[in-house]
Amino acid sequence: MGNEAIARGAIEAGVQVCAAYPGNPSSEIIGSLSQVARELGIYVEWSVNEKVALEVATAASFAGLRGLTAMKQNGLNVASDFLFNLNLSGSKGGLVVVVCDDPSALSSTNEEDSRLFAKMCDLPLLEPSTVQEAQKMTRWAFDLSEELGLPCLIRSVTRLSHARGNAELGPITKNQQNPRFDTSRPIIPQPVMETHKALHNKMKTCQDRFEQSPFNVYRGPEKPELLVVTCGPGWMYVREALLNLGAENRTGILKLATTWPLPASFLMEHLKKADRILFVEEVDPFLENNVKELCAQRAGELGVKTFLGKASSHLPNVGEINPDIVTRAIQQILDEPYEPRSLQYAREAAEAVSLLAPSRELGFCAGCPHRATYWSVKNALAMDGRDGIVLGDIGCYTLGVRPAGFSQVKTCHAMGSGVGLANGFGHLERFGLNQPVLTVCGDSTFYHAAIPALVNARYNQSNFLMLILDNSATAMTGFQPHAGTGRTAMGADASVVDIEALCKALGARVQVKNPFDVQDTTETIYKLLQDREGIKVLILKQECALVRVKRQKALYKVRVDQERCVGQECGCNRRCTRIFKCPGLAWDPVTGKAQIDEAICTGCGTCADICPQSAILKETV
Amino acid sequence: MAIEKDPWNIIITGVGGQGNVLASQILGQMLVQKGYVITIGETYGASQRGGSVMSHLRVSQRDQFSPLIPEGKCDLVVGLEPVEALRVLAQYGNPGVQMLINTRPIFPIDVIAGNTRYPELSVVLKKIQTLSRRVWTLNATEIGLELGDPIFSNIVMIGALSAIDLLPLGREDFQDTIQEYLPFHKVHLNMEAFDRGREAVQEFLL
Amino acid sequence: MENKGLQALESCVIQKDLCTFCGACLSLCPYLHSWKGKWLKLDDCDLAEGRCFAYCPRTRVNLETLHQEVFGQSYSNIEMGLFKQVKMVRASSPTLRQKAQTAGVVSALMKFALKEGFINGAVLTQRTPDHLPIGRVIRRPNEILSCAGSSYVAGPTLQALNQGPWKDSERIGVVGTPCQVLAMRKMSLSPLKRTTPIDRVTLIIGLFCTWALTYEPFMKFLKNRVKGARIRKLDITPPPERLLKVITENDRIWDVPLDEIRPFIRTTCGVCHDMTSELSDLSVGTVEGIQGWSTVIIRTDLGEKILSQAEAARIVKSQPLPEEKFKHLSEASLLKKQRALLRLKERGELENGYLTLSRELIGRILSEANEAGS
Repeated sequence: MGNEAIARGAIEAGVQVCAAYPGNPSSEIIGSLSQVARELGIYVEWSVNEKVALEVATAASFAGLRGLTAMKQNGLNVASDFLFNLNLSGSKGGLVVVVCDDPSALSSTNEEDSRLFAKMCDLPLLEPSTVQEAQKMTRWAFDLSEELGLPCLIRSVTRLSHARGNAELGPITKNQQNPRFDTSRPIIPQPVMETHKALHNKMKTCQDRFEQSPFNVYRGPEKPELLVVTCGPGWMYVREALLNLGAENRTGILKLATTWPLPASFLMEHLKKADRILFVEEVDPFLENNVKELCAQRAGELGVKTFLGKASSHLPNVGEINPDIVTRAIQQILDEPYEPRSLQYAREAAEAVSLLAPSRELGFCAGCPHRATYWSVKNALAMDGRDGIVLGDIGCYTLGVRPAGFSQVKTCHAMGSGVGLANGFGHLERFGLNQPVLTVCGDSTFYHAAIPALVNARYNQSNFLMLILDNSATAMTGFQPHAGTGRTAMGADASVVDIEALCKALGARVQVKNPFDVQDTTETIYKLLQDREGIKVLILKQECALVRVKRQKALYKVRVDQERCVGQECGCNRRCTRIFKCPGLAWDPVTGKAQIDEAICTGCGTCADICPQSAILKETV
Repeated sequence: MAIEKDPWNIIITGVGGQGNVLASQILGQMLVQKGYVITIGETYGASQRGGSVMSHLRVSQRDQFSPLIPEGKCDLVVGLEPVEALRVLAQYGNPGVQMLINTRPIFPIDVIAGNTRYPELSVVLKKIQTLSRRVWTLNATEIGLELGDPIFSNIVMIGALSAIDLLPLGREDFQDTIQEYLPFHKVHLNMEAFDRGREAVQEFLL
Repeated sequence: MENKGLQALESCVIQKDLCTFCGACLSLCPYLHSWKGKWLKLDDCDLAEGRCFAYCPRTRVNLETLHQEVFGQSYSNIEMGLFKQVKMVRASSPTLRQKAQTAGVVSALMKFALKEGFINGAVLTQRTPDHLPIGRVIRRPNEILSCAGSSYVAGPTLQALNQGPWKDSERIGVVGTPCQVLAMRKMSLSPLKRTTPIDRVTLIIGLFCTWALTYEPFMKFLKNRVKGARIRKLDITPPPERLLKVITENDRIWDVPLDEIRPFIRTTCGVCHDMTSELSDLSVGTVEGIQGWSTVIIRTDLGEKILSQAEAARIVKSQPLPEEKFKHLSEASLLKKQRALLRLKERGELENGYLTLSRELIGRILSEANEAGS
């Protein structure tokens, strides 16, 4: 896998300290390193957030060791304050920062092009195109970083990080470096005017290196009709597009792997080859705009060119690219006829799917405590009747914005933003806001970003109810350990940072409940909503279903009494399958009764408590 | 065994939690051992919470290819779920595509809730037949349940794939590969799942 | 197909502010409840047809059909509906008269009915210490008094009828307001599969009613008005005084002019045509200007039987109602009908609203009320 290749490259470079916060599509980098950490004698950590992770890796670098951190696009936002100081202070040992973007937000709250950070911070940026390149370029990045005294950014995307391909492994360098921080030479960004100038000089050296990089490759005729300038997995799409169009002899592909600073001379040499230049990249026109800047600067040498890409609408301005998007763009430009399959087939297939294939709405797993939590929130807010506001955050429980969570959640932005916004809403009563304020926050999110906001809330006396959904897992990203799970990334036992104790120490009023007890939870939430004296914390503690099932199997054996089930009739109308919507429950339209789907039910027993006829029976296992 | 065309494209599709990704890994590894150049592209993440999951496998004797298969270029669909098998045809199907399908439906939440209907299995299969060259089916989930866990269904499917002889995937190849992925005591049960898949698969004929 | 379920109930009644909070739609299913004096919906229901819509006194009321059902006759007496006799009655026991409302007649009759086995259970309205009226099932005669007294606030009494729990053979008596009585008759008429034992409701005593208040805003106002003191009893004094007397702890009495509480009258009361519970077995209310006696309208054979037996057992004492009082009652009742029709007209709901009345009857009500008024 691309991420594994990056990890391998780091190992081959002799990395010794690796830290990260989980985030799709980056998690497997530190994830796979954590599995071999003991064997290799290196230190790997799941940090509480990306800023701390970057700082942990940087400390290694300051002490002369090699450090690695990896994150998704949002993580770079969180780490950026440090990065904007680090570029000026410089680093010592090789330091590589891998950022994995998620174009089209396949599993993110937003879409971002992290490459712009490289330009902003003025740091070297590498974009591998294949799994093998990811490995080799990561290996190289450490040397480059060490030579320049700057952290090196590697940008990956889903289609590289989660792609798998053949790769040849290189030799592993065992780094025997002893760490030492030279206290006679403080590492600080001041005096800024000097360090900023120094940074520019370093980047000039970097550019020289990039001019020679074997990872920047041109393939194609000497005088192509069209020159495609591309980077990242876009390269694979372009190659395949040309193959399918049969346009290889008309098109040249310039693959750039070092995209900031631009290897200007190398670029100029190839840009001269064609009059029409198409830029293929995702998400923003980063390469496109930077190359156009270069061309404007050196217009005298180049002459007039036709630039095609996002600005010309040949490629979309949002979302990820794929071979079909690229094929269509090139097809248009070259006026090359291409029909991947008969239009009639395409139409028939599309019609069949729209008629027959029901869409798959995302939902909570069977036995997920979040479903029970949102059920209680829904009922408590209905009873309260003041149109309460639920502010969400990031994790599996983000699905609370959808019908799966009864559409309870009304905002969701960055890590910790739920309680951040609650702070603000909790002060609006003085202006006449009559709506009670509620925020939901997961355990991993809590450690990541919620604590400062909670301190603020308690100190500034904001009035809201905070639900901490403690399922003892960083579930959405793949169950990486966190400060509440009791194990570290390397498998050692660790003493848990107790959320309840922490909140109490902050001075909040705290209660702990089991969300599977929906009656009690609903009543508790309702009561807390009536309270107007500052922050209230309700910890809803119940293990993630996927974790529980691996250990214990079911809590209960659940079945539906077919006689008592009222089904679709007035008096129930399929409350369990229509509203509660646990996938462990199935509606049998033939018998007109609800059933338990044994293959899916995890035996949490919550549905038994919501059946108006008590037709769902649970027996302790 | 030479593949029909190069690259030869497989899509493994199903619902999150069915072991789609593991299946593509095992398959990929088996083919790498046979000397092929394999590129796999996966779409998962939030899609695991009940959404569709797709793995694209490019099988080549010469080069790496795009981790996403271009429109209309799929050669084989391994459908861990019937409706998902149909779904991928909209973008990737063509008259020559071949289909291997697990017939056990997984109902989307909206079907369970009664907001939409799940189509009749026979209707889905017949439709798939008109949109493909050949179709094979088996109830891999039921076999998995018989072996003690529905998750075995993905191994059952690999067994079935081995039986229909489109790729050089023999029993020994599977055994060699699976031993790298699983602890020793689990290999036996997976071999049984593989064998049951080989036995159970049948061609679907109208 | 037009929806006749919860969706229609919401759009035709709840969102139009027509809910009387009678409780007929509550506790039939997990979606509809009462909470702190409010109608509460927990989830949506997409059934095309449901009991909530069928039972509601503000959906599809065909007075002709209902009268045929209850009395076997056409709806023609537009003043006060059909009746056999109107009397002046009071409870014989002075204790009962003191503890209960007005003349203690309803309490006395229900107690009697329970004791003698006419009914095995009574659905009555009780107030919580916070003055929230809720329905209660009473099976012991000496517990009747716990539900005595008027609340002036609408309460979902029929929720208790729906909820029970009931034993298979129990006969049931209900005391309700005109809208609650109307809902019960609709329940009887509805062909939808029942869980409410409406067929075993053998005695319905209806109360006179001109309006009812909405709990939450009213109580908020009242608590403010009495500066947070704990409220023990509420009493509206008869004309000409027309004050709401609020008795708080320490026996302090506060006088609140009725005009101050008019804002809390439920909107739906403005379109209510029925002052005297025209569909009950017996209707009970005050006698204008005479303290300590109640007007009782005897409408059905059963009502007549119970009243005469109770009198024979010296539980109650009756007298003829003075002609003048009868006339006033008639006029007042007709006036309420007229107001209701005029309000419906204002809302554009005279033709397509909940009340189905022939053009002829509408005309008669509007003109005769005018005559009576002038």
